[in-house]
Amino acid sequence: MLRKLLFNKQKQFSCLAVRQLAAKPAVPKTLQLEQVHIDEAVKIEPTLAIYTPEIWHRAHETFQNHGLETVNFLRIVTGNPTLLKRRPDRIIDSLEIWRACQFGEHLLHLLLTKYPELLDVNDAHQLLSLSGYLKSRVSTNKNVWKLLMNSPDLISQPELLMEQKFNYMMDEMRIEVPEIVKSAALTLPFEDLRCRHIFLVRLGLFKPRALKADPNEPTTNNRLYQITDTSEKSFATKICHVTMPEYEAFKELLARELEDKSRKSRTDEQLSDDDEEEELH
Amino acid sequence: MLKIRNICVMQRRWKGGKKRWNTLQYKKNNCDRALESFDDFYGSVYGNRWKNMRAALLTEHKYVAMVNNFGDTEQTCSMLEMDGAINVKSLIQLAKERQVGGSGEMLKATRGNYDIDQKLDALLRKQQEREVAAVYPSGKEEGHVAPQQLQTNKQESTEAEPEKFEYKQSLTRALEHDVQLDESRLVDPQYGTGGLYEYMPAHSIKGMEDWVAESEHYKYYQTSADFPLTIEADAAFQFPEHLALYTYEMGNCSDFKPPRKCLTGVLSHFLMDGASILPPLMLQVQPGERVLDACAAPGGKSLLMLQTLHLDQLICNDVQESRLNRIRHVMQEYLFDFKQRWSGKRLSFSQSDARNLQDYDSYDKILVDVPCTTDRHVLNKQDNNIFKPSRIKERLRIPELQAGILANCLRLLKPGGTLVYSTCSLSPVQNDGVVHMALQQVFTEHAITATIKDLSQHTALFEDIFKFEQPKGLKYGQMVLPYLPANFGPMYFSKITRNS
Repeated sequence: MLRKLLFNKQKQFSCLAVRQLAAKPAVPKTLQLEQVHIDEAVKIEPTLAIYTPEIWHRAHETFQNHGLETVNFLRIVTGNPTLLKRRPDRIIDSLEIWRACQFGEHLLHLLLTKYPELLDVNDAHQLLSLSGYLKSRVSTNKNVWKLLMNSPDLISQPELLMEQKFNYMMDEMRIEVPEIVKSAALTLPFEDLRCRHIFLVRLGLFKPRALKADPNEPTTNNRLYQITDTSEKSFATKICHVTMPEYEAFKELLARELEDKSRKSRTDEQLSDDDEEEELH
Repeated sequence: MLKIRNICVMQRRWKGGKKRWNTLQYKKNNCDRALESFDDFYGSVYGNRWKNMRAALLTEHKYVAMVNNFGDTEQTCSMLEMDGAINVKSLIQLAKERQVGGSGEMLKATRGNYDIDQKLDALLRKQQEREVAAVYPSGKEEGHVAPQQLQTNKQESTEAEPEKFEYKQSLTRALEHDVQLDESRLVDPQYGTGGLYEYMPAHSIKGMEDWVAESEHYKYYQTSADFPLTIEADAAFQFPEHLALYTYEMGNCSDFKPPRKCLTGVLSHFLMDGASILPPLMLQVQPGERVLDACAAPGGKSLLMLQTLHLDQLICNDVQESRLNRIRHVMQEYLFDFKQRWSGKRLSFSQSDARNLQDYDSYDKILVDVPCTTDRHVLNKQDNNIFKPSRIKERLRIPELQAGILANCLRLLKPGGTLVYSTCSLSPVQNDGVVHMALQQVFTEHAITATIKDLSQHTALFEDIFKFEQPKGLKYGQMVLPYLPANFGPMYFSKITRNS
């Protein structure tokens, strides 16, 4: 819809477009908010109908001042309508918090346009510590950005859970960072990730890399995004080449097996504690 | 200055914090060795299907509960039914009714693989006809028929098929047979072969000249039918009247409750691997028969035969005293008044190698559940694992041992008596290969001939519970395959009758 709208706009402002084309041979930027834009946006997201044109223009100006084009502004607003309600200074605060993560302007805009809900973040400390933690695991800001592009729910995940998944992928599955950041593996619950990995291992389709193997050497394993970014059904049938009932049965059996194992280790621990106590006595 | 705190608190050492890769590296254990060997061998036997079996073998298996007739039978049955378990007897009854009701449809459903073959045949035939027509345009008018036109009805095909199948070719043999020299790549010696000797590919590895691949070993067991053998369909299957077995339907992975003490002091039910019920059931023990369980431990199959309440006398044999003690223990727990009523009377034990049993021509039925690689056990348990490197000789001689036991058991049978040979291995060498070897051996040495009973009609009744190998893949018997929604087996069984 928006693209169509833009196309019409281009015709109208052809002289403007020509000038911009001369400056940069890319898609011309639209920098004015027209009534047509607002109407289209309301069509997509009816809850936006309650706001007056002044509010629209005020918000548009705020975003424009921070380098976001009208198209991106419209995408953000349709994705997260409550933004219009917010005071400009609070929007600016959120943008500043994100800017502090140092992804670079362009990448940041891409991220915010893709997931407008991220602008609801208002705790600078929390976000910075998160990005700091992620950076410590995936080493560059760009990788952090890639991670967030694939799994935006990371900002609300406890660090412990993320740590568990990172450790599993790096130590057990022996997957390198470039592959991790290309997948949405961190969105998946840890249990699902482990279940899918163990299933592939037991089928003999996933072999962990040797410890001294060259990381550039290609493997026959499925890529991580194939394993994690698929629905249950396509994972079973396309990746594992088994029937759905088999995978369902496996999930059930594995859950029980792991539960038994943890129960056993717990009782073992208790027993050893008892032994120690006896020794003490 | 010496502070007390400095003495008490151990200073943390940072040296050696990071571990070297070789200390982190996973040490290979017996289960891994077993898995590696299976990947190599079964991968070539079962092809694509091996990975499904592999996953099933490595995952927890499914049980069947056998209700103890000497305990509170009805109470136990109702308890199991409350948990959602289904009586195997009623499942069989249903399958029988279905077979009688829509036998035509049933055949279509269970023999789907033949349909595919027929389609393939038809396709091939068509293709051939087309080719013939292209080469000899007049061929059609003369009524030319492609040479390989098979017109067999279904009944014939079930019996004839197993003979055709040849699984024996080891990898290297197959390679030797199929190898075709690519003429275009042969270098004529008169044109500059100057540097070719430098590119001679290695044909052996230093230090491994004597090494023989394990799959290579299997080709020594040649099977060429050189003894008289008939295969006939077995008589109708009768489920024992008093036997109560409970299982969950396919796809349901629930657990059974652990057995509890009954009023009579015995345990309420026995949990066993589901596929283990098939060999004793297929043996079809009748009232008044003398039965031998040649390799009885741990006693589940013997107990099942006793629970049919048909047995006149059962002899449980095993090699080791410890294993016999295990059977005794099981029997004591499950048979009421074991010492007064059973031991030494209806149930007796013997400790001997089954190859050395001497009471020939004296048993009506024998269950030969031979020692094998126990595929599920070796993949999951470290102890008593036959893939321990020091047991390689023992492992490679397993088929020999099995054939010895089977051959001797054939001699122990009364003429006209029946035995069921069973293993819990997927290896065709230990299954069909051993049956073949034993039959050959008893024919050449003792002039005993035998009849193989085709059990495919019986296994069709169990298809709701187990997943069976296609009958085409096996020569002399039937096999339960490990399959995740019905994680039983593996269990191969073959029913053999000694000719009178």
